[in-house]
Amino acid sequence: MASSETEPPPPHPSAKARRRSSAFIAAFVLLQFLIPLTYLTREDASDERFTWRSLTVSDAPSCETSASLERFDGQREDIPLKKLIHRDWLDYMQQDRRAVVDAFLRKQCEPDDVLQVELVNRCDDGRGTRAYNLRCGGERSHATARTATR
Amino acid sequence: MKPLERYWFGDVALARPYLVLRFVLALLAFDTWLNMIPQGAKYGVGAFNVAHFPWFGSFVPSASFYLGVLAFTGVLALSQALYRPHRIAIVLVAAGYTLGWTCSLLDSVPYHYLLSLYLVCFVFFPMLSARAAFSRSDQAPRGSVWAYVLFCVTTAIVYFYVAAWSASEGEPYWLPMLCCVGYLVASMQDRVELPALRMAAPFLVAAPVVFHLSASQQGWLPIYMIGIAAIVFAPVQWIHGLGRALTQPGRNLVEERTEGSGIDERASQVFYLSLLGLVVAPMISMFIDLPGVKTGCTLTAIAMLLVMGRQLYFTPRWRPLWRVASLFGGCLALWVTMAASNARFDYYHEGALDAHRRGDHDTAMMLREKADRYAP
Repeated sequence: MASSETEPPPPHPSAKARRRSSAFIAAFVLLQFLIPLTYLTREDASDERFTWRSLTVSDAPSCETSASLERFDGQREDIPLKKLIHRDWLDYMQQDRRAVVDAFLRKQCEPDDVLQVELVNRCDDGRGTRAYNLRCGGERSHATARTATR
Repeated sequence: MKPLERYWFGDVALARPYLVLRFVLALLAFDTWLNMIPQGAKYGVGAFNVAHFPWFGSFVPSASFYLGVLAFTGVLALSQALYRPHRIAIVLVAAGYTLGWTCSLLDSVPYHYLLSLYLVCFVFFPMLSARAAFSRSDQAPRGSVWAYVLFCVTTAIVYFYVAAWSASEGEPYWLPMLCCVGYLVASMQDRVELPALRMAAPFLVAAPVVFHLSASQQGWLPIYMIGIAAIVFAPVQWIHGLGRALTQPGRNLVEERTEGSGIDERASQVFYLSLLGLVVAPMISMFIDLPGVKTGCTLTAIAMLLVMGRQLYFTPRWRPLWRVASLFGGCLALWVTMAASNARFDYYHEGALDAHRRGDHDTAMMLREKADRYAP
């Protein structure tokens, strides 16, 4: 029978193992210090992922969001946001999460006959109204512009 | 050793990495099932998705994909908490869990990122048996566990940034900063050459407890952090005694089983029983009635086969059976959790409400029927 008293603890790491582990530790710790600092360079201030800026639950802003598209023949159509995507994505757009707004506008540009797409956020708080335009076509993935005033 | 090396490679009571690994894995399993599965109906709606990282491209995770990943992660995590963990399994849990939240911004809970960091640390933990961590009754076994120190430093960095951002906004920051210092100090408390730290560390547990109880925080973050703090800050005698008490039944069972002298002759029976168990365990998921869960549980059994590998043929003979038993435990726990909680109802109810809102009345009706079946 294997004695329950004899199973040894893990051995102390050798010098070589310590060097390898130290390199991993240094890289892992350095990354953890650097990643939250990327917040300072983010264009989108509402994007607080990986920063530890807040561990508490935040309230969703009270905004009204509408979207419309314009076809090449000049016809304008409202986009029924609530019927197209889940409510959580709408919340993100109301919070001005640029990644979500851009992705949504790009998706609306997928049909060939769409010229441009616009999304407007009207908020009750101090942020006022903001509009996002994307002109479809060659520059569709880069052309999102923030045209609103505060 | 240089001072910095002494910090990372100094001795730690083995009870701490043993308990913290199992505590986080077990809690993570129930967290994914009870808190994340009910959110699954959001996934794939309108074929729209934005992932956390651009390398996902235009991939749109469906509800069944998301639930499958959660079932896989949860069952594998719990099975590793129940029996001696395996490094490959921890890698798979880390990969599955991280895939689960990174595939969509729909999951932007900050502590899910923290748990992924923890799981990376766990990959480098020693895969201790209960006998190695608790067998010496007179004194707690110690050893060099740099990954545990890294785990503590990871936690300290989180509190450091919470404090730093609070300070930058003119808010009080002393409590999270005290938590940060506490973790850096407590990671060294088991070293015989630092008796003063051993005296001071247990009192510092008050800082994370107060911090997490004083403000409303997302999900189960307070449970994770208070539990982790209790393991990291508690005096070694307490944590050793707790660990011994918790693992006593398991150690007795394993020791009784290894007493038999005819184990080698039974090796082929163990082999076939293990294989049978791997096939039967995921079948429990047939009773769960959630999309993707059957696939998730089947993948867990395949992962377990990968983990066991050569153990199926070679000594110690009983180990494969314990691993299969832990897989059974994981699948069974998933079934009981789903049957005893509102998670299934919430999943179908939320799905029905969203489908109704979008005007998809057929889907709404189908989901509502399911929700009615599991209504509390």
